[in-house]
Amino acid sequence: MRICSWLGIVGLIGLLAAAGCKDRGSTPSAGAKITFQLNWKPEAEFGGFYAAAQVGAFRRHGLDVEIAPGGSGTPTVQMVGSGTVDFALVSADELIVARARGNPVVALFAVYQTCPQGIMVHASRGLKSLPRLLQSDGTLAIQRGLPYAEFLEKKYGFGRLKIVPAPNGDISLFLHNPGFAQQCFITSEPIQAKRAGSDPRTFLIADAGYNPYTTVLVTRDDYLQAHAQTARAMVLACREGWRAYLDDPRAADALMQKLNPTLDGEVLSASAEAQRSLIETTQTNQHGLGAMTADRWKTLADQLMELKVIDSAVPAERYFADLDSPAGK
Amino acid sequence: MRAWGRILPPAIAFVVGALMLEMAVRWSGVPSYLLPRPSAVCQTLVDDGSELLAALWTTAREALIGFALSAIAGVLIALLLSSARWVQRAFYPYAVFFQTVPIIAIAPLLVIWFRFDLAVIVCAFIVSLFPMIANTLSGLLSTDPALRDLFRLYGAGRLSTMWKLRLPSAVPNILTGLRISGGLAVIGAIVGEFIAGGGLGSVVDEARTQQRTDKVFAAVLLASVLGLALFGLINLMSWLTLRRWHASEQD
Amino acid sequence: MTTVRSAGLPIHIRGVRRAFDNGVVALDGLDLDVPAGQFIAILGPSGCGKSTLLRLAAGLDKPQSGSIAVGGAGRGHKPGRADLAYVFQDAHLLPWRNVLNNVALPLELLHVGRRQRAECSRRAIERVGLADAANRYPNQLSGGMKMRVSLARAMVTEPKLLLMDEPFAALDEITRHKLDEQLRGLWSAAEMTVVFVTHSTSEAVFLADRAVVLSRRPGRIVEDHPIDLPAERVSELRGTSAFARETRVLYEALERGGN
Repeated sequence: MRICSWLGIVGLIGLLAAAGCKDRGSTPSAGAKITFQLNWKPEAEFGGFYAAAQVGAFRRHGLDVEIAPGGSGTPTVQMVGSGTVDFALVSADELIVARARGNPVVALFAVYQTCPQGIMVHASRGLKSLPRLLQSDGTLAIQRGLPYAEFLEKKYGFGRLKIVPAPNGDISLFLHNPGFAQQCFITSEPIQAKRAGSDPRTFLIADAGYNPYTTVLVTRDDYLQAHAQTARAMVLACREGWRAYLDDPRAADALMQKLNPTLDGEVLSASAEAQRSLIETTQTNQHGLGAMTADRWKTLADQLMELKVIDSAVPAERYFADLDSPAGK
Repeated sequence: MRAWGRILPPAIAFVVGALMLEMAVRWSGVPSYLLPRPSAVCQTLVDDGSELLAALWTTAREALIGFALSAIAGVLIALLLSSARWVQRAFYPYAVFFQTVPIIAIAPLLVIWFRFDLAVIVCAFIVSLFPMIANTLSGLLSTDPALRDLFRLYGAGRLSTMWKLRLPSAVPNILTGLRISGGLAVIGAIVGEFIAGGGLGSVVDEARTQQRTDKVFAAVLLASVLGLALFGLINLMSWLTLRRWHASEQD
Repeated sequence: MTTVRSAGLPIHIRGVRRAFDNGVVALDGLDLDVPAGQFIAILGPSGCGKSTLLRLAAGLDKPQSGSIAVGGAGRGHKPGRADLAYVFQDAHLLPWRNVLNNVALPLELLHVGRRQRAECSRRAIERVGLADAANRYPNQLSGGMKMRVSLARAMVTEPKLLLMDEPFAALDEITRHKLDEQLRGLWSAAEMTVVFVTHSTSEAVFLADRAVVLSRRPGRIVEDHPIDLPAERVSELRGTSAFARETRVLYEALERGGN
């Protein structure tokens, strides 16, 4: 019996060592299949990517891309870091934290210029602002580990609120309890709630001063170095896809509904409409869809350091790559 | 003295295993966010000790309550099922439901129906119920037929036969059921906590979101310790109850 | 209620038939009278219905037709009586009780008070010679000791009818002979009828006043033979020619019944 446990321990260590030594980033040259990992089920926030597939943008740039839907808790930032996939979606604060933990992911394209994260309350409560909500009674469902939650707690405090875990896309608790507030994406839960006949009112976290890029296409440092052309082609194809989706979302919406039958058609088109102003801004009109600035990254890194979520930051330029300029890295 | 003979070998195996793992992780260069070193996990246990211990206490309390409820309910249900053949045939298949229901799917429903902390107890209860029913029932149904005849001969009523014959003879089976259910109750509580919050489950969820893999492992380690402690407790109960008469506790 | 002080319970079996669901007919029209206080041995090949007969007498089973009357007229044979006892082939003790509490079990089930229970149990244990094992548990006892506890348990209610189903079959020969002697002694000291089922002709001859040999299933009486030996059965008897003669009678009867 003892020998068996020894063998078991040795075997396990061997497996883990092998996993660690796995040759990361040795993807074959462009033309081979690329897996692009989403961090949720197909929804309006991914519309441009599905549009890119539909209008042939990937193909035109020489890419064979498989879009892999995610779900609750898909560890996209670790999947990219470990080499399981080469491209994935994360949020900007996730990326900064990952780099601080030794996971060298780099951003290429940011769908949301304004973060869609918000807190949804019942309009009937008459609360006029986020600080008012945070000083009230009732229940607030947030995902505690997320940096925005720490930001809110530090800035305003949670006072008398009862904090419970976020329901992850399920609005039934919100519908049944007038005193219940929960985190949401402004493009998703409030629209569903309104459709279900409720009276949601959303406060954007961005308005409170915390505004990370969201739904950001990322890859690894070493992949970017080895396959700069492929990465650039991805960015260009995504840009085309998002342009097509913003111009007319209907075709991609139909595709996404087929892939995710739980999607309500009306909610989907309402989401597509609601997210426009978050995606297309004066910044993107100047520099193209998905473009990012070092200033925004620096602000975010400073905020995260202040919240003690990370110990140290790197120069802002290291967080993202601007591949579109002629002198692209 | 004999107790050391029992504790020392696995303790040594654990320490050596941890050391080997530490060396393997350092040598292989696995990044810490994928697999933390044992030393990093230990450090986290020290740094975040008070938070982890408080979470451990919450999970322990909820798991134990759920476990106690499932033990009592399991024995009672088994007694009911064993009372008549048709009762068993009619209702036992539904008891299997508790075995197969995916708790992670119904946990959100439980949160809606019960308060948040009560939902966790219910999760622990549901997950640990079936082994209690199955094992107790097995024990009750395998009573010695000759003894049942003997009881009948002296005119013993059903209550007498249940209390003096069937239940005592099922005690070894009940203890086996307890051993299995205990660990399941801990798992059930933690799964419930993923959805309903509190305890080690929410520490794992939060640490995962913060990409603190070392903290995830620290919480998981504590959860295992909890399961082990429960197992040890039941083994102690088993030894105290059976030591004089049952083959399983004789050396 | 007449209280006739009789030495043991008589048994009257008339035309008893017992068939089982699987088509097996164990007994078909058996007649047997056992007078009060007799020690009767029942022999026969395997499956001839000996155990069934015993269970019918105990009231643990009912015949399809015919009647079994235990005791005088007017007494039924429903279970739940203190004057009947049954000893199985294995001791079948409750492993979680010590010897004393095992022996006390019948009294407990018959709602006898604690003090009287303790007294009677101790006496029964002494009678089988296990006085210093009272606090031991069954897993600390040898096979022979366990059987003696089973005997003590059967005797603790001072039954008037003792039914025994090959009780010593699983024991070694020496223990078996010892227990045979002990049983015979217990019977002669008490006032009870004993029905003893066995495979062994020598055991039947040693123990019983009368031996009945049953045929193959369905069991019919092939031989009903009074044992012609002195009432005092000592172990030396086993070597005598009279003993051999009696065993041969039974052996031949078994052979006849087996055809």
